[in-house]
Amino acid sequence: MADGRTARGADDDGFPVDPFGPVAAVRPFLVTAGRVAPTASGRPMPVETQVVATAQGLEALDRLSFEQHDIVAACRQPQSIAEIAARLRLHLNVVRVLAEDLRAAGQLTVYVPHIDVTRDASVLRRVIDGLRAVPDSRGVLRDTD
Amino acid sequence: MASAPSPTPGGYSVTPTEPAARPRAHGSAPADGTPGAAQTAVRPPLPVKMVIAGGFGVGKTTAVGSISEIEPLTTEAAITEVAAGVDDLTHTPRKTTTTVAMDFGCITIDPTLKLYLFGTPGQDRFGFMWDDIVEGAVGGLVIVDTRRLDDCYAAVDYFEHKDIPFAVALNAFDGKVEYDVNEVRWALDVSEHVPVVVFDARERGSVRDALLVVLEQALARSEG
Repeated sequence: MADGRTARGADDDGFPVDPFGPVAAVRPFLVTAGRVAPTASGRPMPVETQVVATAQGLEALDRLSFEQHDIVAACRQPQSIAEIAARLRLHLNVVRVLAEDLRAAGQLTVYVPHIDVTRDASVLRRVIDGLRAVPDSRGVLRDTD
Repeated sequence: MASAPSPTPGGYSVTPTEPAARPRAHGSAPADGTPGAAQTAVRPPLPVKMVIAGGFGVGKTTAVGSISEIEPLTTEAAITEVAAGVDDLTHTPRKTTTTVAMDFGCITIDPTLKLYLFGTPGQDRFGFMWDDIVEGAVGGLVIVDTRRLDDCYAAVDYFEHKDIPFAVALNAFDGKVEYDVNEVRWALDVSEHVPVVVFDARERGSVRDALLVVLEQALARSEG
């Protein structure tokens, strides 16, 4: 399985050589046993959902299979599921399913953002202030309007 | 959003069966290489999502790359597409789920808050169902190449239909636009509260300012 995944298009770290994609020899949803519905609530996890490994997950690393292992290992630092999918070259929905499994097993903590909170005025103001602080350019001079 | 658990102060629902997710103080650095409880307690930032939309090749990835603190990442997302029959030999309308490449990047606002920018994939001849990517976004930026106005209709329609705050940004290729803001506004027939701006997808400050226009829209609505 691991060999199949790296048969073409991926370097040793599993990062994509070809940006267009996972070229898994194993059809992606085989690793999820065909499941596509990721959450108990019936809504897919938003792509920006944050995921972090638990101590239990890190301790169990050696016993986890390829994709599960890679996801937990990648989540030593908080990651969005989109980042996990991109870095591990897995389909987004495969990550959703596996992250839900790993959460249920206590190996990951999944932080689903609340829309009401992200759209709250105080949060938006902080984003605006933070973005305003981003300098103009990385070397390219900015025209005045 | 139909989630049972009540939001924590950080704005999350930590999904319920998680045994001991005692969040730490915001922004505590992950302790690398020391297995144990410390690593479980890393509190992720609250992710705020914006969507960069527009036709193929209008500069979505360029815009994301200009302002993202990481090299834009690419992943595959599923979209439901209604093929318009262009390359359909049977001429039968069909609805299929297609896997497309999606580029994204991010900007850390502070240790507790992170802005994600997702470029929605798209060619103009498809009708899109971007819900999978857009759900929960605070706003959208529709990038327009004024030489190919048609390409952005799908995105404009989508944000209007979903009632998501958005702005239209005319990408100034080679420093100029074929039609000015008023002409484009007229052609797109967007309502007058939708900002239409000119920007340069290659310039960080210009992308920043376009995103700020969208965020101001979102803020005005939330204060509304």
